[in-house]
Parts: sequence; structure tokens; C-alpha cells
Amino acid sequence: MSAPPTDLAPPRNTRGGVSPRTKRKLTMSTARPWLLLAPALLVLAVLLLWPLLRVVLFSLQDYGLREIVSGRSNYIGFDNYAEIFADPMLWQVVLPNTVGFAIVAVGGTVVFGTLVALLLASLSRGWRTVVSSCIMVAWAMPAVTGTYVWIWLFDADRGLINGILLGTGIIDDPQNWFTDRWSFYAIVVLNIVHHGFPFVAITVLAGLLGVSKEMIEAATVDGAGAFRRFFQIIFPTLRPVFAVVIILSTIWDFKVFAQIYLMPGGSGSNRSVLNLGVWSYVESFAQNRYGLGSAIAVLLTLLLLVVSVLYVRTLFKEEK
Amino acid sequence: MSAPAPTRSRASTPEVIPQRRPRSPRARWILAAKALAVAALLVFTLFPTYWMVSGAFDARASSGAQSLLPSEPTWENFRYVLDEGGFGTFLKNSVIVALLTVLASGILALLASVAVARFKFKFRTAILMMILIIQMVPLEALVIPLFVQVRDLQLLNSLLGLVIVYVAFSLPFGIWMLRGFVAAVPEELEEAAYIDGASWGRMFWSVLLPLVAPGLVATSVFSFITAWNEFIFALTFMDNADNYTVAVGLQQFFGENSNQWGYVMAGSTLITLPVMIFFILVQRRLSSGLVAGAVKG
Repeated sequence: MSAPPTDLAPPRNTRGGVSPRTKRKLTMSTARPWLLLAPALLVLAVLLLWPLLRVVLFSLQDYGLREIVSGRSNYIGFDNYAEIFADPMLWQVVLPNTVGFAIVAVGGTVVFGTLVALLLASLSRGWRTVVSSCIMVAWAMPAVTGTYVWIWLFDADRGLINGILLGTGIIDDPQNWFTDRWSFYAIVVLNIVHHGFPFVAITVLAGLLGVSKEMIEAATVDGAGAFRRFFQIIFPTLRPVFAVVIILSTIWDFKVFAQIYLMPGGSGSNRSVLNLGVWSYVESFAQNRYGLGSAIAVLLTLLLLVVSVLYVRTLFKEEK
Repeated sequence: MSAPAPTRSRASTPEVIPQRRPRSPRARWILAAKALAVAALLVFTLFPTYWMVSGAFDARASSGAQSLLPSEPTWENFRYVLDEGGFGTFLKNSVIVALLTVLASGILALLASVAVARFKFKFRTAILMMILIIQMVPLEALVIPLFVQVRDLQLLNSLLGLVIVYVAFSLPFGIWMLRGFVAAVPEELEEAAYIDGASWGRMFWSVLLPLVAPGLVATSVFSFITAWNEFIFALTFMDNADNYTVAVGLQQFFGENSNQWGYVMAGSTLITLPVMIFFILVQRRLSSGLVAGAVKG
């Protein structure tokens, strides 16, 4: 923090410091960015970095109710991790639910969002503004309330979907959509795609409007169909946009919590629908096994870290 | 990638206009297909919101007899939720938490963003990388340590405990976004202020701050929405209904066997309304902040 005062600071930093007290000014101007940063860095260190380290420490302990009350540590090495990796829950339920769901949800969001962007790009300017504003409504819907609306729509007794299906005679008895793992996750995918596609659509649209019209016209004249135009001109040009959109969606979809936790059975009573985030939460706060829950949380973090590194690398490759 | 501004001049789709004039059967089909696609898209996008609002006004929503239009329009659901359901308290709690979060994270993010956008110093790139990476940490993974930490501070069940945590969450994105706004202010303006004899502090107040104000508004709206919508920490930290925020308070209207959908939807409407208004106000900046702003050097 106390940079060498005698140092020849680059002229940028002196900022009108052409005064007799040059030496003191220089100190001040090297210290200033750190003074400005200090409060934010302090908050980030205490509330994000330290907990991040701590969750790793907890994951190496048998941290239960007793430890949480007394605050004493109780290290057991990698036993929690051994337990998780030996648990068929992880391999048969939780990991497929997390990764499989993320793949389907990201694919659905990106494909649907891109189609919407293409549609928007082909509209006249006035209609484009109207439709993209309407799309924003889906994005703005808070996750919690959006999830409740989907639950209501698919509610066994009072839901609209069951009402329609019963009314048209497609099903004879009310169907509980939340007990089966597949239909449960189908609803979650619907919820996530509905909430997530506007971001993709708006971002891709911004990119689409920048694609050279001349190039597309030339390709049309040369007889390229819509598919070829998309995959040979538009997609390569928008590659960086797609990279960012896909990676951000992946990060978001890996850690969905409220959208699953709030659904009937999603808070632990139906163990076949757990994903990494909810499993970690349920083990910790329902079973009081904070150590095991922390180990699951570390696993989730590591998974996301891999995706994040990809993200940062894409961003910085962009900048060059 | 960057803002769509330069392309806007020819956004009036010159491609479509020549097609429209002759109105060949093929062009008419394309137009009809497009209209159909737009209609389907709007129905899919808007229906859940419509269903929520219509359920909130429907006296029969809870009995499962709701039709597409509210059959018996009523304010009863809202009255119940606010009077007997205690939703007024939840709203008040959420407003307090969100406003304190906005204030604190706005100040911290502004100072930090000036530092990273305007000064060259050792570890600058390292700090930027750290901020970017830390944005990716799944907050769900931090529930356990933060729960212990907040408990040690005796702040469980207090609104302040939530505020502290939310400030930390909205800070990285705030710094990242404001950095773009600060960098966009021409340095010549600052230099002019120095030539006129202003100190750094004076320059900050009278030159930089007014010019960065729009960015500050956008960032504030973002942290407001973060704090307003947050669920998992509010769920974990609060076990006294008097301190619930809106996202957690909604659970009150779920009965053991029957869900009071009319009440749930009335509460949901009250939560969603402010978010939607704010969101639509800043959506342009938000989406470009997520992507373009993050890319600019």
C-alpha cells in the first residue's frame, strides 16, 4: 500500500501535480487508487473470499450442530468427500440432475433465444421495439414469483394444464406432475428457458444488427438458403457473442436453486429431484451435516470454476 | 458485441420494403408466418405474467375455478394479503434492505470503479481478474460459512445481516459495470478541472460524479433487484416472520393441503411490479453491461 515515494511515477498519475511539493503529491497519487479500493476490497475479502476459504475448511470437518454451537473444529480429512463419491445418490441422481439439466436448459435457452433474435431482426423497427419490450417482462419476473406461477399452472387439483387436459379428455385423472423426476425437470426447464431466453435474444439481436447486410445479400444472390446463410455467415461472425451467452447461461443453470427448492417436493422430501445446490443446502440445514454440505458446495464451486475460466478466457481473447 | 448504436441508422430493414410492394403470394405467406410466430411468442412470454395478475384479481382463484378472464374481479386477495397476511411488513422489510444495499454498494462500487478505471497501479489487472472471477462464485456455496459468520456477529434474524451479505453480492458486478461508465468520461474534462485549480476531491464531486450519474442509477437498480429478489439467504437467516422479506414471506400462503393461489398471486404481483418497472427502465444498460461493458478495456 505504501509505494516507494521516491519512485518516478508515470506522468499520468501526477494529474496536475506540477507543484513544488511534487514528492508528496506523488505519494498521494500512488496511494489514492488503494484508498478508493480499500472499502470495496475489504468487503469482498471478508464476505466472499474468507467464506470461500471457510467452506473448504468446513468440508474437511465433521461439522455438525455441536461444532456450530461451540465453534470448535473437528477435522476428519477427506472423509466427507469419500462419503459423497461413494454415495450412489451423487452418480445416479444429483450429478445427472445438475449436468443433464444444465445441458438441456442451456441448449433450449440459446436455441430459442437465437430463433427469437432472428425473428426480431426481420421485423420492422417499430414492431421490433414493441416485441422486445414485451420479452423483457419475462426476464424481469423474479425467480420466486415466476416459479410459483409455473407451480400453479401445473398444480394437480387447481392447475390450468390439468384442467385443459381433463376437459379435452386427454387424461382421465388429475396428474401430479411434480412426483416424477422427468416431468418435474421438464417444468424446471420450461421455467428457466422462459426466464432466460430474453437475455440471449436481446444480446444476439444486438450482434445480428451488426452483421454486414451486403455479405448476406451477396450470399442470397449466390443462391445460399437461410440455413447456409445462418451457419456460414451469421454464426461465425457472432461466435464471440454466442460464446459469452452460452457460458453465462451455463453458469446460471448449474446453480439454479429457488426454481427447484420451491417446487413441491423440491426442498428435500423428493430425493430424486435434488441437484448439487439443493442437496448441499438440505444436508446442511435440514440434516445439520454442515461438513458434508460444504463438501458438496465445494464440488459445485469447482464445477463452476471450470466454466468460469472458460468465460474469462473468452472475454480476454475478445479484448485483443 | 458493442452497443448497437452505429447500426441503428439502417435498422429500418431495407430488405423487407421491396418485398412488401409487389405482395406476391410467397411474400404474403412469409408475412403471415411471421405474424403467427410473433403472436405465439408474445403469448408464451406474457402468459405467466398475465395469469399471475389475473389470478390476483380473481375471487375464485383459490378454488381452482378460474377461467381465462377473472370471473369475479375483486381486490379481496390484495386486502387479505396486506391486512391479515402481514405482507405489508414483508414489503417494508424488503424496501429497507434493498435501499440500504443500494446506498452502500453504490458508494463502494463507485470509489472502486474510479480506482480501476482511472489509475494505473500495480496489481490493477490482478484485481480486475479477481472481481470478474469472484462474480462467478456460486452464492449457494457460501450459505454455510456466511450463516456461521453472520451468526457469530449476532446478526441472524436482523435486516442488517442481510444487507451486509447483499452488498457483497452486488459489489463485483457494480464495480465492473461502473468501470465502463467512468472510463467513458473524457479525461480532458478532468484535466480542465485541474487547470482551473480544482483539487482531486473537487473534480470528483463536480465533474466525474454528475457524468457518471446515469451509470450509478443503472447499477443501483441492479443491486435493488438483487436484494429484492434474493431468496436463499433470506430463507436461511430469518426464522421470525416479522423479519421476512417478500421472497420468503410468500411461503406463508401455502397451506398444508390446499394452496391459497389467489393470495399467493396477489403477493407475487406486489413483488413483481416494482421489479418490472425498474427493469424495463434500465434493461438496455443491463444487457450491454453484462456483455459489451464487460468486454471494453
